[in-house]
Amino acid sequence: MTKCPACLIGFARGDYPGLAQHLVDRAEESDSAHVRWLNQNLTRRKTDAESLVPALRTSFDLGGSPLTHWVKARFISKFYEDPPHPFVRALQHPSRATLLGYVMEHQHFLRQWVRSCAYIIARTDQPEVILYELDNLTTEYGGSGPDRPAHYELLLQMGESLGVDRATVLATPPLPATRRAIEQWNEMAMREHWVAVLTAMHSLELIASRTLVDDGASMHYFDPAILSSGEITPAARSFLREGYEADVGHSEQALGLASRFATALDVVEDVQSVFLRSIDLFDDYLIARLERAGQFEA
Amino acid sequence: MHGWSGPDSLKRNYDGCAICNSSWGNVWEDVDGEHLFFCCDLCAAQYRGLIDRIKQETGWGRIDSIEIAGDRRGRTCTVAAGDSHARFLFAFNSDGRLLRFQRNDRPAAV
Repeated sequence: MTKCPACLIGFARGDYPGLAQHLVDRAEESDSAHVRWLNQNLTRRKTDAESLVPALRTSFDLGGSPLTHWVKARFISKFYEDPPHPFVRALQHPSRATLLGYVMEHQHFLRQWVRSCAYIIARTDQPEVILYELDNLTTEYGGSGPDRPAHYELLLQMGESLGVDRATVLATPPLPATRRAIEQWNEMAMREHWVAVLTAMHSLELIASRTLVDDGASMHYFDPAILSSGEITPAARSFLREGYEADVGHSEQALGLASRFATALDVVEDVQSVFLRSIDLFDDYLIARLERAGQFEA
Repeated sequence: MHGWSGPDSLKRNYDGCAICNSSWGNVWEDVDGEHLFFCCDLCAAQYRGLIDRIKQETGWGRIDSIEIAGDRRGRTCTVAAGDSHARFLFAFNSDGRLLRFQRNDRPAAV
């Protein structure tokens, strides 16, 4: 099924004329999500639906390559092409405020992460997907004993190292943009095909993948030099190092599964649109981290 | 529909949405005495907040011209009122509120 990447309403498979007309109609109503998608992905110049169809087809065309390639290319284009996302630029050599913005908002993201992955486990019938998700949840949330704390625990320790205790972190509600993103990821996890959810969530781990520069990203998530210098706290180094090392495997393995099962189950178009929606939510969520950081700036 | 209007009107470099220059959408709002086109309510809110902040920062009662460049990752605007000029860097959050706003006047031409 073809879906609208702005609102996920469904159309018949390959019905790009129907999707184009929907986008034009919703834009005519000045709906900000649809106008945004058109502006950022197709054109800023108003046109008729018929004229949009070729651009839509091109936008969704895998070009004969696996889905993984298309996902990575779109992800890099959104977050790592000139200019890279403002949060990525801020994280190159992060201030205390930037890291605390990360801590305050990401605790909410990780709690939703567990729910989203749990939906995938509940809805798939593929043992290797279940095993993958269990391993991911252990790394991200559960941990493997005191010597292998979860990413969530490392996040809280980073906050403590920067002078904000975990009780304060846990009691701080998310900013509106984070809350909206979490609500929509949750709804997505409940309603969309599990392969689409797998792609939509685990593609987000590409943000920290250190191999993304090999695929064309203009920079790393952060300057790797900060892992060996004294400019951030040891706890911050531990948190960032964990993502730096784990997210290569996490995202690559998940996208491999997604690519295989999307083709086998014939849900490639669903997966593409849900992924596109997810990265728009992620874009807003990363801005929320910066907004929160502003509250810690002197 | 858009672009430079009468002699006493605000001069703008965009002929589409006053913030992003898109021609999608159909929102018209009066801001600072000007009837302006926006692609969506979010851009209208952004523009109102930007104009208020510029006037607050400069102390000007009226802006004669505004020239915007850049994209959602970060924009600049060059504004003028009479013989006074100023340039700002700015970006918005996803609610349309200013996330960043700082004066960034170009060095005077030699």
